[in-house]
Amino acid sequence: MSAQLSRSLRGIVGAAWVAGIYAFLFAPLVVVVGASFDGGDRTFLNFPPSNLSLHWYGRIEPDLFQALGVSVALGTTAALAACLIGVPAALGLVRAEFRGKALVAALFRAPLQIPAVVIGVSFLKLYYFVGDVTGLYAVGSLPGLIVAHTFLASPYVIGSVSAVLQRFNMRLEEAALSLGASPWTTFRRVTLPVIMPGVYTGAMYAFLVSFGDVPVSLFLGAGSTQPFAAKIFHLMEFDFDPSLLAIATFIIFGSLALIYALQRAVGMEALIRSGGSS
Amino acid sequence: MRARWHLILAPSLVLSLALLLASQFIFLRGSFFKDLRLGRLGTEFTLENYVRFLTDSIYVDSLILTTRLSATVAILTLLLAYPVAYILARMTSRWSMVLLAAIVAASFITIVIKVLGLIIIFSSGGALNQTLLWLGVVTKPVTIVGQPSGVVVGLMHFTMGFAVLLLYGVIRTIPRSLEDAATIHGAQRWRVFKRVIVPLSLPGVIVTALIVFNLCMGAFTSAALIGGGKVYTLPVLIQQTVIMQTRYAMGATISAVLMAVTLIINLVSIAIAAWLGSVRRLTA
Repeated sequence: MSAQLSRSLRGIVGAAWVAGIYAFLFAPLVVVVGASFDGGDRTFLNFPPSNLSLHWYGRIEPDLFQALGVSVALGTTAALAACLIGVPAALGLVRAEFRGKALVAALFRAPLQIPAVVIGVSFLKLYYFVGDVTGLYAVGSLPGLIVAHTFLASPYVIGSVSAVLQRFNMRLEEAALSLGASPWTTFRRVTLPVIMPGVYTGAMYAFLVSFGDVPVSLFLGAGSTQPFAAKIFHLMEFDFDPSLLAIATFIIFGSLALIYALQRAVGMEALIRSGGSS
Repeated sequence: MRARWHLILAPSLVLSLALLLASQFIFLRGSFFKDLRLGRLGTEFTLENYVRFLTDSIYVDSLILTTRLSATVAILTLLLAYPVAYILARMTSRWSMVLLAAIVAASFITIVIKVLGLIIIFSSGGALNQTLLWLGVVTKPVTIVGQPSGVVVGLMHFTMGFAVLLLYGVIRTIPRSLEDAATIHGAQRWRVFKRVIVPLSLPGVIVTALIVFNLCMGAFTSAALIGGGKVYTLPVLIQQTVIMQTRYAMGATISAVLMAVTLIINLVSIAIAAWLGSVRRLTA
């Protein structure tokens, strides 16, 4: 009886512990969504909302939507570019055998090891240097942001594609080749469809990393190319307005919808496994 | 077909390596030249910036603060995340997948929005304070926004999801049958935990702790916003030095020290862990 009692006690403590951590993780999101519906005409925030209203939703500044557009264009391009770099890199890292492979793998992971602030400043310096030599200044331009964000996000694609490739059954390719398919046809018709879930997952992570980045965008974006997250950062620092909560609510539900859609497409397990490995 | 895979990797490697080396070399090289402000550098090689870092208390204090906060976060996050990861790893129902997916989803929502939520919760007029006042726990509003403790909470929030996911992967590699065997042989639950699960997961725990520590050493957004411009960790100081003061050489010096110290702490921790491991093996 006492063993059973201690087991159920342990169960309760465990469940409470898990619930507490999840509450900690999700409370900020719940609070932002909740406070965005507060109707009070105040500059300070209320949660739980005192009287429900969509007041702040009508007062979102147009330049926030413009920044959102920049971020979506930037994130999409950077995610595509990260796939162009990451998919061949993952294929090479998983399948080729060569000396110094561990070092090459570490070099591909380097953008995760360098603090993002340092990546931001060093790309700023790089762009000034390239500008001084060629006359083309990438600072404050969309291409400049795309290059830096591709650098920042490519390890995520490499991580998720590698995770899928490691479980790839090579017999599938051998079968295709022995049946007379060319290497390119084999890659396109056999390999690529199997690794696509990894590519989708990596691309989405790359997009979300680009979308959420503040430090790099802070150094490289300016004026009309200021990405959304950097803009929110500035507003929170200097000029807070509750309409931020309204647009943040859109972003929260947008991100969740994106992750849910991906989960439907690739399955929960692929989503988690490649998420943990990167 | 087999021989070509390393050629497929080559263009990606050249591109990534070029961006990595060019950006880091041009930037960090600046730390060895005199800072003439506005991005201009002197022409003579000098260690002046590094001497300044070591002799000016702003920089040394910031280094100590950043390291202390990061170590605190690594320990607290691991202690809180470990039981969650253990319970999820030993869960037999499909709920474990749903709970893990929820962590992945939460991890990838833009950090500025999560920080915004944390600030609302912890601000002096916020929900937490009103509850505490109502309960009579505090007599006047307290806030951790603008305090190092607030930055600790913010960084814990930032790293908690990663820690649970990484520890989940570690604990999943420990076969459940080992626990069952120990229990069948009469070991108490607590002893099973102490003698089987903890030792077997220790290498993974150390790796996770270092990843969390490294993330915190380089964390900018939560430190800058929750710190409210009052908590100067090294990443915040780098941004201030470059953007507000346009002192690129000093910014490069702080960056170089930050990365070097982080690397050294990692190497020393791994060496200590390896040494302790071999000591334990000798005494066991």
